[in-house]
Amino acid sequence: MPQRSVVAVGASLLVASLALAGCGTRDDSGSDSTGSGASQNKVAKIGVIAPLSGNLSALGKGIQHSVELAVKQANESGAIPGWTLEVAAVDDEGKPDVGKNGATQLAGDDDVVGVVGNLNSSVTQQTQPVFATAKITQISPANTGPTLTMGAEPTTAPKRQYPSFFRTCTTDLVQGKFAAKFLKDEGITNVATIHDKKTYGQGLVAAFTKNFEEMGGKIVAAETISADDDNFNAAITKVKPSNPEVVYFGGEYPQGGPLSQQMKAAGLNVPLMGGDGIFDPTFIELATKSSEGDLATSVGAPVDSSEAGKKFLADYEAAGFAEPSAAYGGYSYDAANAIINALKVSLKDASDAKSARDATITEVGKVSFPGVTGQVEFDEFGDTKVKVITGYKVQDGKWATVKTETVS
Amino acid sequence: MSTEPTPAGSELDFRQDVSRTDIDHPGPGFASHLARLAPSATPLFVVGSGLVVLSCFLSWSYDRSILGNVGIYGNPGSLQLIALVLGLFGILLALMRGPLRRFLPWVDRAAAARALGVGSLVFAVVIILAITLESSGLINVDPGGWLLLVASGLMALGGTVMQPTETEDPLRAHYGSTTEILVFVVLLAVGLAVVAYALDVKDGGSFVALLTGLAAVGAALGRGGFFQYLAVASARHRTVLTLGAVAVAFLFPFTQGGSDANMSIATQVLIFATTALGLNIVVGLAGLLDLGYIAFLGAGSYVGATMSYSAFATIDWKPPFLVVMVIGGMVSATLGLIIGSPTLRVSGDYLAIVTLAFGEIFRLAMNNLDGENGPDLTNGPNGVPAIPELEFGSFNFGDSHEVLGITLTRFANYYFLLLLFAAFVILIFIRLNNSRIGRGWVAIREDERAAEAMGVNVFGLKLFAFASGAFLAGLVGTIKAHHDVSVSPDQFVFLESAFLLAAIVLGGMGTVAGVFVGATILKLLPEKLRFLSDYRLLMFGALLVLMMRLRPEGIVPSRRRQLEFHADDEKLAEVVGEQHIEQEEARA
Amino acid sequence: MTDLLQQLVNGLTLGSLYALIAVGYTVVYGIVQLINFAHGEVFMIGAFGALATWTVLFNGTTSLWVLPFMILGAVAASVTVAILMERFAYRPLRHAPRLAPLITAIGVSVFLQEAVRLFYPGAKSKLPFPQIEVVTGPAVHIGDITVQRAAVFTVVSLAVCGALLWYFVNRTKLGRGMRAVSQDPDTARLMGINVNRIIVIAFAIGAVLAAVAGVAQGLQNSNIDFRIGFLAGLKAFTAAVLGGIGNLLGAVVGGLVLGVVEALATQFIPGQFGGSSWKDIWAFGLLIIVLVFRPQGLLGAQVVDRA
Repeated sequence: MPQRSVVAVGASLLVASLALAGCGTRDDSGSDSTGSGASQNKVAKIGVIAPLSGNLSALGKGIQHSVELAVKQANESGAIPGWTLEVAAVDDEGKPDVGKNGATQLAGDDDVVGVVGNLNSSVTQQTQPVFATAKITQISPANTGPTLTMGAEPTTAPKRQYPSFFRTCTTDLVQGKFAAKFLKDEGITNVATIHDKKTYGQGLVAAFTKNFEEMGGKIVAAETISADDDNFNAAITKVKPSNPEVVYFGGEYPQGGPLSQQMKAAGLNVPLMGGDGIFDPTFIELATKSSEGDLATSVGAPVDSSEAGKKFLADYEAAGFAEPSAAYGGYSYDAANAIINALKVSLKDASDAKSARDATITEVGKVSFPGVTGQVEFDEFGDTKVKVITGYKVQDGKWATVKTETVS
Repeated sequence: MSTEPTPAGSELDFRQDVSRTDIDHPGPGFASHLARLAPSATPLFVVGSGLVVLSCFLSWSYDRSILGNVGIYGNPGSLQLIALVLGLFGILLALMRGPLRRFLPWVDRAAAARALGVGSLVFAVVIILAITLESSGLINVDPGGWLLLVASGLMALGGTVMQPTETEDPLRAHYGSTTEILVFVVLLAVGLAVVAYALDVKDGGSFVALLTGLAAVGAALGRGGFFQYLAVASARHRTVLTLGAVAVAFLFPFTQGGSDANMSIATQVLIFATTALGLNIVVGLAGLLDLGYIAFLGAGSYVGATMSYSAFATIDWKPPFLVVMVIGGMVSATLGLIIGSPTLRVSGDYLAIVTLAFGEIFRLAMNNLDGENGPDLTNGPNGVPAIPELEFGSFNFGDSHEVLGITLTRFANYYFLLLLFAAFVILIFIRLNNSRIGRGWVAIREDERAAEAMGVNVFGLKLFAFASGAFLAGLVGTIKAHHDVSVSPDQFVFLESAFLLAAIVLGGMGTVAGVFVGATILKLLPEKLRFLSDYRLLMFGALLVLMMRLRPEGIVPSRRRQLEFHADDEKLAEVVGEQHIEQEEARA
Repeated sequence: MTDLLQQLVNGLTLGSLYALIAVGYTVVYGIVQLINFAHGEVFMIGAFGALATWTVLFNGTTSLWVLPFMILGAVAASVTVAILMERFAYRPLRHAPRLAPLITAIGVSVFLQEAVRLFYPGAKSKLPFPQIEVVTGPAVHIGDITVQRAAVFTVVSLAVCGALLWYFVNRTKLGRGMRAVSQDPDTARLMGINVNRIIVIAFAIGAVLAAVAGVAQGLQNSNIDFRIGFLAGLKAFTAAVLGGIGNLLGAVVGGLVLGVVEALATQFIPGQFGGSSWKDIWAFGLLIIVLVFRPQGLLGAQVVDRA
């Protein structure tokens, strides 16, 4: 008896659910994703590999969305006839091991022809060989370490490491040189340096120190801080007696802001100067009022100073992404467009995306077009040819442009 | 202040605790309702299982692009196969009453049915949710999906109200050797197939559903007493099982068809697991808590990197790799001795902190030794990139090879090397564990003073555990350097040590299988659950806490360990005792 | 000479912060012999509690009168978290082997950090901490030595908290209960002391001091983030062991010594092994050396004072 009633209940429920599913509107997009117009197009993917979670996710998301924007625009304008571009975003969490898995995952996807990323140099070091083996173009929007392109001796014996690796941002060498010249032009001779003992910060300070000393300047004190620290008083106390006119800081704004604030609170009332790592509104927020007069350099002309840059920011805004384009949005957008431009040639006669990989690398090496951050072109090492750097100064709680120059 | 302690307070608290443990028993009213259903429990369960099977032949989702296409009538695919297994397993369980009972008198049918029913229901809910979320709305759920939900609901209901029957103790079940070995072979083959299948699942929803389905089967097997039986049986056929497991692991790359995506995870799992196994000697066997173990792996890695032919390497002496490996191990072991010899004399908590501090010192020192803030050894924050592939004779680990028509890629090459190495470490682990030294460690772990009084060389054995653990980690590190291509200080942060420890704790302290299970879970899940991105670490934290509360002995516990956590379980104590005696006799 | 005095001031400021946190480790260890590894996160939660109080109730105000409210907010947040932690994570494991609570603690620590990062608005990057009048602002100069106002606040907080704690432990009934439990929990229970409550109180005391430290940290550095608990917790634990774990005065002394060692190491160790990048190594190195030659810590011998 109970058995039968159960069957009855089951059957009636079955009927009811059939009836329910019968009425109402269906979602049609999913069921024929390969339907009508799209089906004639072949798919090629541009990968994004960046920290999409974790404490660097703000920067990573900006990279992802900027690439998405470039791809969306390319699809809308039909930049590559017969092909639809897609974005495949992978999270590297800012960790080498995770990044390597992500890179392998992308390399295993036959549709991927180019990749934008990574953010961290230590991650890039592990993803470079993976992409190089798979012959996938990799363009980093953010890695500034010279060794990534020029090998162990970037200044004396540069040697290209991986032919598939490019970058749209300049190296520490260029930025450090600009900063040295900038200060020298201001008539400053005594500078103290502080860096956070990370790849970026240390490289920047090394480049600055070398150039500044060559120009006849004097490094009166050289100190390091730990990126895990919040209290820099011990280091400040050590620097202070040398009476620097400027403190040159190699590092990023989470340390740079508090350092500027604590420096001035401790009575070391001189400007702090840094690279693109501190060129961020948060720096001013963290450094409070004491950031007034602090200096920063950043690669390229200011994004909002050029027409292309303004258009990019407006388009980004209009696309309605959840996160802002952040510090590396422009470089990522340019990187994605470099790949897209190369694909215009390499995909033209290709039967599938995978077979176009090799040609894409060659083509990326040849691209030349006006981008958001300047003319996008790569030299024999894969570095951008843009050597334009802009100096900024904090004025009235905002970054104001001081001058833009091309570093020779 | 009205703060005087109330004498009754502690007693009251005690009573509260007791009542709380009973919380999952339903109230009397509800229970009596359910009790009335008891006679129809089995029919309910059978019908539910049957309908689940039926639902697999119907479409679940209108949207065919999701969950690996579950929208076809009459042809079960992807996740529907899991549901099929659930349903068939349910029918099998129901049959346990009759003919099968004679062969498997130890199966706790009611408990298994309950676990299976509830598990299936959760599985169905996950499926419905996944369809709803991945497509647009509940409307995309097809009749088959609803049938699955209802049917698994019936299974859950039937299983819940099922009356427990008398069962024999699974720990005493015994079948012929051939049968038991056959069971192992089948299990291992199924395991390999499931792993290969699960790894192929790329979409997050499917993966979660798959895990739920597998968990349901696992829970039913566990509740039914199968694992208890398995544990005893595996003790009888340890060699077969080990060989089988090695064979399965060896076959794994051949299931990947030349794809790197999973092999790269697999090699990392192996590196991680082998390192964790070394740590298990320290933590699981000797009971010393080491929170800076990653430093020993790091020391090995740096030795491997700086002695490699990388253009960034700082040491000009380039011995053959096997020599480098030994040097890596020695350097690690030396560091272990330096840290261990002073601190192993003091209490265990101090050791935990000193090792934690040592881990940090190691990372910071590697970050500093770049010629600017110390001697030029490690390139500081840049690390040592571009480490060349390993090369044994003419065999380059970077090249792909064709074996039996299947491409074995770079990662597969490293996989086999690591597998070989893992086998070596397992051998050491087992030999140590079953030796005089191993018994000494157990004695120390359980009661240091008593051990000392019995003439165990406490300090010496502790130091040996510490140094040998470090040595093994150093060996792995040298391989890791070549596998990773680059070595940098931020690979060796504290969280990595915590992960290693978590692998041991999750899997089961002091066991080999446990470590591998734990390592696989910790390395694989984050890769597969990428869609949870930001919430992964949060869940990791919660998982550690819950695990310690609910099953502190781990997923695959060592029996002896289990006893430590469940001191009042007399049955378990008895069995552990017997087993021990059996083993002793076998050895004699 | 100026350098030495200045670094002493820096060190004592830093050390006071360590000491405030270290007390939490030592109190809990003294009662239940548990290393509450997640105590650093309690400190972090305190800082965020203060920030939240300020953001919600007094956004934009920088007058001194909001400071007590911020401290209250910090204390409320810290104590709540600490008590929940004790109740749901540690209490069920009280008789488990000691590895279990330690691993739980690591879990709790990761969980709390991530919870704050994910659910506190804007906490994915550093957040500016309000600069309150009087306790922050232009530094005080004594001769050539600069003393931050926030540093004065930190040191005074430590003195006040230390004095109150001393009174509580040595002069109140509850304090006597604590001392009794720390000496022999079983006998204490037989004597009618509610051990569970004492343990909760120990956790709460640690949390109160950690919360004050959280506020002090925010004022000193003008910013906080979700990761401040890890390193501070590690250093504070080092301090507690340095002074002799379980010994209240030891925690304070250990904290101050550690802070001073760090500051002096930055300044006075010459050559490649000096400077900020090595100071943590010297600090941890000191811990190892102390454990080798004096495992009970600098003041560890006074067992009677263990509460």
